[in-house]
Amino acid sequence: MTAESDFGTVAAMRGVQERRDGAVRLAMLLGGTVFVLMMLLGLVMRLAQGGLVEIDAALFYRIMTAHGAGMVGTATLTGATILWFFTNRHVPLLAGVFWAFLGLFLLGVVFILAAIFVGGYGGAWTFLYPLPAMSGGFWQPSAAALFLLGYVSIGVGFLLLHLEVARKLIAAYGGIGGALAWPLAFGRGRPEDAPPAGVVAAMASTIFNVLGIVVGAAVLVASIVNLLVPGFTVDALLAKNMIYFFGHVFINAAIYMGVIAVYEIIPEYTGRPWKTTRAFAIAWTVIMLFTLSVYPHHLMQDLAMPAWTLVMGQLVSYFSGIPLIAVTAFSLLVYIRGADMRWDLASALLVLGVAGWSVGTVPAIIDGMIVVNKVMHNTQWVPGHFHTYLLLGEVAMAFGFMAWLTRAPAAQERPGAARLTGADRLLFLTYAVGGTGFVLVFLVAGALSVPRRWAVHATQWMPLAQAASVFAALVILAVTVFVLRYLSGLIRQRS
Amino acid sequence: MMALRFSLAGALLGAAFLARGVLEADPLTHILVQLPMLAVAGALLPVPAGWERARCNAGGWAALLTAIFTIAYWMLPRTIDATLVVPWVEAAKFIALPLGVGFALRLGWARAHPLLRGFLKAQALAMLGVLAFLYTHAPVRLCTAYLMEEQARLGLGFLIVAGGLAVLWVAPLFAVCAPAPRADRAGGRVPAFDP
Ligand code: HEM
Ligand SMILES: [Cu+2]
Repeated sequence: MTAESDFGTVAAMRGVQERRDGAVRLAMLLGGTVFVLMMLLGLVMRLAQGGLVEIDAALFYRIMTAHGAGMVGTATLTGATILWFFTNRHVPLLAGVFWAFLGLFLLGVVFILAAIFVGGYGGAWTFLYPLPAMSGGFWQPSAAALFLLGYVSIGVGFLLLHLEVARKLIAAYGGIGGALAWPLAFGRGRPEDAPPAGVVAAMASTIFNVLGIVVGAAVLVASIVNLLVPGFTVDALLAKNMIYFFGHVFINAAIYMGVIAVYEIIPEYTGRPWKTTRAFAIAWTVIMLFTLSVYPHHLMQDLAMPAWTLVMGQLVSYFSGIPLIAVTAFSLLVYIRGADMRWDLASALLVLGVAGWSVGTVPAIIDGMIVVNKVMHNTQWVPGHFHTYLLLGEVAMAFGFMAWLTRAPAAQERPGAARLTGADRLLFLTYAVGGTGFVLVFLVAGALSVPRRWAVHATQWMPLAQAASVFAALVILAVTVFVLRYLSGLIRQRS
Repeated sequence: MMALRFSLAGALLGAAFLARGVLEADPLTHILVQLPMLAVAGALLPVPAGWERARCNAGGWAALLTAIFTIAYWMLPRTIDATLVVPWVEAAKFIALPLGVGFALRLGWARAHPLLRGFLKAQALAMLGVLAFLYTHAPVRLCTAYLMEEQARLGLGFLIVAGGLAVLWVAPLFAVCAPAPRADRAGGRVPAFDP
């Protein structure tokens, strides 16, 4: 059998099997819908900062909390769903675990929404100790505790999911080292025997996400105990370290899990598999270590931190862009150039995702420099960089995955040259232009020292927020159509 | 074999009983040495024929739940206090820990689904961590029999046990061993695309 006909059969067989994966489809539908809703909340914030709508400052911070927690949670939900779906291609996973994950996740969402919109919690998704306990009368400790309990529920769901993924990968590929392709990276292993690219990424992101969640759970429990029995005090700097370790790892895991969709789907468009090379294997182990050690770049304002940790944060920030760009962005370029790449909404969004992610690391690295951070830390430069690699990165990958799940039957055949045309092209451009414009305004505002997390902006900053609102509306328009298109695709597939 | 198991269990039980005075003088040795000794003694007991497949313990749930609730009860500071002053509570401890924890865990563990085992290990580490936090940070004295400073030391002990168990459980997973044959990996599914 030639490689090409083999590809065709494998893709067709997979198509039949994967169409039955209802839980994954449901999770992505929920994820897409929540993305739209949270973007609407984001738009409301931008409109308020632009002076176009008036909202109470307390409500602004509730919205900001819901937007931050909701977006980070949904990005990780969609990332984990991608991880689950593609890991299931290589090792059989227990379907019940995914349902339990989804159930615990939704329970957490209910807690969080109730804490914010009923209890009035507005202490941001970062729950920085001791802010949840010091609301100045805006919310009760019980509301903050409910918010944190929601996180705990979501965390337990993630741990279950990762446990199932890890134990199957470990059994199938010969230990954690085997699944990370260590024999190829550091030994005499041959590329033919190495696990698929998606498996290496799944194993690495499982490891760091578990570590992140464990540390997060520890500080969550400590914070909850402190809320209920204030006599239990926590070392504030230690808590901050733990929170940012968790936050950094968790949101990065969302992207690293999402990129599995690129490794697994793009080959169907180029006709060439994404190979686990030696460089790829080494890069993923390095990424894993970097992700775990780079978090002090969030603590550069904390004078009490030992200097070496901040230097490490800065140095690792510099280098952490390299393995990512080497093995994902650069390889992607090579794969695309060498093939008669077929473009449709799915492939276009996945490629945009890698581009947005790579570009977004540049302002991130800049902000990871101690000198710059002193000036930029509390400006909109920060939301500027993370919206780049989230909105144009992870979220683009998630919608690309959704478009691929519901692609038209003709598109499932062997790849051939095709271009993005008509409505799809317009839709893609709306998203890309809206998203780029939106993040650029944040970055410009940051460069002009407009502070982040301010409910009310000075009049001279307002034009920026107004322009951002227009771009945001474009994004929301495109994303709403993505979700509707996905929904109609699901309905079409059922019948 | 059976006699050996009985005598080992008996020896542990006896040692835990005879060294009672020393072990129970400090909460660290009371909780982290004596109680585990008793549990291990129970785990060493031979399992009667037929119990391995008893219907009422399908999936190990019945035994594991018994163990979990027994542990939960004997973890309470006031229970520990009571063992020191009420002789029959002390006697109950010498029965409940071997049978309700050690023996039950062994019966349940053998039949538990691998996912459940992983979950329980993770839960054990997490709870040891929580205990470590509670015992090192508590603003009040938790036991009447033991001092604040002793309870903080116990908290540190919990942390060390958690770290030790984590290393013990995770380190072996890093060893690179021979992967399963490709066909098994896919579990009868469509193979990965590699021409
Ligand atoms: C149309 C899309 C979006 C709009 C209009 C929007 C708007 C905003 C605004 C106005 C802020 C507050 C900025 C400030 O500090 O002054 C914000 C913060 C934030 N956004 Fe977005 N956003 C969008 C998409 C996203 C996406 C896709 C994600 C992640 C997947 C995301 C995650 C966050 C996070 C984590 C924060 C920080 C909240 C905090 O400071 O606690 N946003 N967003
Ligand atoms: Cu970070």
